[in-house]
Amino acid sequence: MCGIGALFAYKDGAPPVRREELEAINERMRPRGPDAGGTWISDDGRVGLAARRLAIIDLSPEGDQPLTDTSGDLVIVFNGEIYNHRELRARLARGGARFHSSSDTEVLLQLYRAHGAEMVELLRGMFAFCIWDRRTERMFVARDPYGIKPLYIADDGQTVRIASTVKALLAGGGVSRTSDPAGVAGFFLTGSVPEPFTTFQSIRAVEAGTAFFIDASGPGRARHHYSIANVFRRGCAQHAFVALVPPETQLREFVSESLTYHLVSDVPVGAFLSAGIDSTGLVALTNQVSRGGPLRTVTLSFDVFRGHESDESSTAERFAREMHSKHTTRIVTRDEFQSDLPRFFDAMDQPTIDGVNTWFVSKATAELGLKVAISGIGGDELFGSYPSFTALPRIVRSMAIARKFPAGMPTARAALTAMSRAGFAGPKAPAVARYGETWGGAYLVKRGLYMPSELPEVMGRDAAEEGLERLAMFDRAERMLEPDPMSDFGRVATLEAAFYMRNQLLRDTDWASMAHSLEVRTPLVDAWLLRQLAPLLTNEGSASKQYFADSPRPPLPSYVRNRPKTGFVVPLIDWAQLPPDGTGTRMRSWAKRVLESFG
Amino acid sequence: MRILLLTTDIYGGYGGIALYNRDFAAALTEHPDCEELVVVPRLLPNPPGEIPPKVRFVAEAARNNVAYFRAVRALRRERFDLVFCGHVNLLPVARMMSDRPTLLVYGIEAWKPPRDRLRNRLARNAGAVISISDITLSRFVSWSSFGGRTFVLPNAIHLDEYAIGPRDPNLVTRYGLAGKRVLLTVGRIVAAERYKGFDEVIEVLPDLPKDVVYLIAGGGNDLPRLRRKVDDLGLFDRVIFTGLFPEAEKPALYNLADVYVMPSRGEGFGFVLLEAMACGVPAIGSRHDGSREALRGGQLGTLVDPASAADLRLAITELLARREKRIPAGLDYFSFDNFRARVHAIVNELRR
Repeated sequence: MCGIGALFAYKDGAPPVRREELEAINERMRPRGPDAGGTWISDDGRVGLAARRLAIIDLSPEGDQPLTDTSGDLVIVFNGEIYNHRELRARLARGGARFHSSSDTEVLLQLYRAHGAEMVELLRGMFAFCIWDRRTERMFVARDPYGIKPLYIADDGQTVRIASTVKALLAGGGVSRTSDPAGVAGFFLTGSVPEPFTTFQSIRAVEAGTAFFIDASGPGRARHHYSIANVFRRGCAQHAFVALVPPETQLREFVSESLTYHLVSDVPVGAFLSAGIDSTGLVALTNQVSRGGPLRTVTLSFDVFRGHESDESSTAERFAREMHSKHTTRIVTRDEFQSDLPRFFDAMDQPTIDGVNTWFVSKATAELGLKVAISGIGGDELFGSYPSFTALPRIVRSMAIARKFPAGMPTARAALTAMSRAGFAGPKAPAVARYGETWGGAYLVKRGLYMPSELPEVMGRDAAEEGLERLAMFDRAERMLEPDPMSDFGRVATLEAAFYMRNQLLRDTDWASMAHSLEVRTPLVDAWLLRQLAPLLTNEGSASKQYFADSPRPPLPSYVRNRPKTGFVVPLIDWAQLPPDGTGTRMRSWAKRVLESFG
Repeated sequence: MRILLLTTDIYGGYGGIALYNRDFAAALTEHPDCEELVVVPRLLPNPPGEIPPKVRFVAEAARNNVAYFRAVRALRRERFDLVFCGHVNLLPVARMMSDRPTLLVYGIEAWKPPRDRLRNRLARNAGAVISISDITLSRFVSWSSFGGRTFVLPNAIHLDEYAIGPRDPNLVTRYGLAGKRVLLTVGRIVAAERYKGFDEVIEVLPDLPKDVVYLIAGGGNDLPRLRRKVDDLGLFDRVIFTGLFPEAEKPALYNLADVYVMPSRGEGFGFVLLEAMACGVPAIGSRHDGSREALRGGQLGTLVDPASAADLRLAITELLARREKRIPAGLDYFSFDNFRARVHAIVNELRR
């Protein structure tokens, strides 16, 4: 886990890279990697690499970055963890490779040497990295399938700049700060900035699950090395395997395997524990696969909710006792929230309406001296437990029926609008009628913070029109479903992974944990796990969650499984003194506050 | 010591389970205290051949279920020190001979609960369980909640029956393999058991060099579908089906191969991987079934995720590039001598 940066003056005549810029980029990422930092600039001054390091695998200086291979041909900066690095090392060693450290970074170099760009397909983990290949004078850039680790790129036509965070690129001083209305519109529509946009025109996210080369003509076409839609599509064709083994056994084996990989570390690993099935299931399975001592678990509690049904701490404490874990309940007060708020906004890399809970639970975990924690995030997307998994098929089917009748759609729109005005349907009902014909449209309405028609009022007419046009959000959502995942479950899961999970959940988890120098690992957000479970998930649908609850031995207790799903509630309305905004959560007010913090 | 072994197929049987049972019987009869081993087979697809010393083979039991029941009932007059039951479905009959028979489990037959409660309960109440692999044992325990003594007894390989050898020119001509690099999978091609990974290998073939061909050795009712798939993909000149082949040809078949590949999902153990490695053929197996144990967690061969085409393709590429035939150093872990020692240790433990 680290922060990385790269500069490549690829065009003939481009000014050489500046060490000061490289160091400024690196310095902005210091909290991501407090243990070491380094820069490397090629002899001809055209390429610079920088890295901050949080040492978790191979704690020795041998694992420091940028790392050069013994031939001097390859230099790498790498952010993330390769959980199967030991297997890959053994496989490469059988083929004659020689290693000089036990770090996963060196495995990446050797794997690149053996397989070139295809090497990314063998990686199990979270990663964003750049490899400078002196032999071909190309830079290879790759990002993990789900986009757990961030990576941003700015190309001014002469020089490419890359960093783990938008703010680091800006700190380097080499990129323009012109605002991008598409990024801002995306933020208001969804509560987070959708990839590949950022709130700056000059900076783009390297898309999750892609890899590409940069050569003398600039960044090449990105190749998708993993497609969630395709994994679900293939899963539908592999139902024969589902019949061989009971669902709970498959879940136990595959999730335990994922956990075993995610526990690979040379420092102790803790776990976030809520009262939900995902985190309790992971803690129970960790107890069964871990060879270490008792697990350290952390639960967050807000003092104003103590004793309230949305407070998860008492259930989590009871479960932790039964699991014999060393448990901490960390109570957060209004004073602490308000005093942390400036640092919270400073650490937030791109605007988002989420991240408060991850900020505090990461802070609490880091206070215990831990550098790594397991989190159950991604479980709702994996097991289909969001309301969207039932609502979206209903919306799309209803709209399809309306379409079959002459004047069906206008009638449906008029009826839903009238019902919404009369209070018989929610405020999103008219938008459902307008956009709900497609899966992507229905998803964006269901998950939307603002509707497109509301944006001119929020961000000005011109900016809203330009932003919406360039964002092309509904087309973008439809493109995520290519190839067709072939099942309702697969379609919704693909959209959840491509939007909410990628742009909000995982991104927020990254910056909010990295601000406390904590690495959060996500065993339920694992490309290999999804590939293994896709046949089961498409076969069983949302029942998978209960099978997951059955998967530990003994199964999860009834007080966990039967607890009403409350979600993790943050007392933002009161603590941030949010004005009414027509919604119960006042998230629209919070969104405006967030954007103000970005100037 | 008199031992009863109720089994599905053994002498005269095809495949890995029959072979496992023959080895198990041989190891039992070689126990110094063994006076007689009575073997009652449910299936006898071929003449049983020569029956080893100390074995009484009740061949007439294989006619049908009634004959099997009668044959076992007739044995009730005899006293047995140990009763082994070679299939969950045979447990009701085994109960006639022992309150707590020792159950042998191999693969998919023990991975999920039987439909009826009786066999389910009898499985839970078995005296002990011997499993061909950890994964089968773990899956069996998962549904049966079996809490008694358990043993893992992996397949044996008779290393002296295999060796690295040159390609048989007749087979090269028969299958058109001159100048080709050969991937091989040996196994039954059964529609109800599409878990060997034939489809997965066929699908990566277009991304491998043109001189790489895929030899599928075995017969079964899914063969027409696979042939159609091969034609649809335009791979008719790169996938060769041997159909059923004589058992004696097996070592020669392995010696045709450059890489043995089986990205399966349903192998209880994956004995064919041992055979391939005993011929010096580098092996690729699945990390998600018993193959993982046959390759000793990746020490003897390469493990792949059968759901990942890239993992499979790159593993094949790596092994083809190595162009090296050698018998892995750790393969003798599965030697018959070690197998026999494990069986004798289990017998001693069961008698305690």
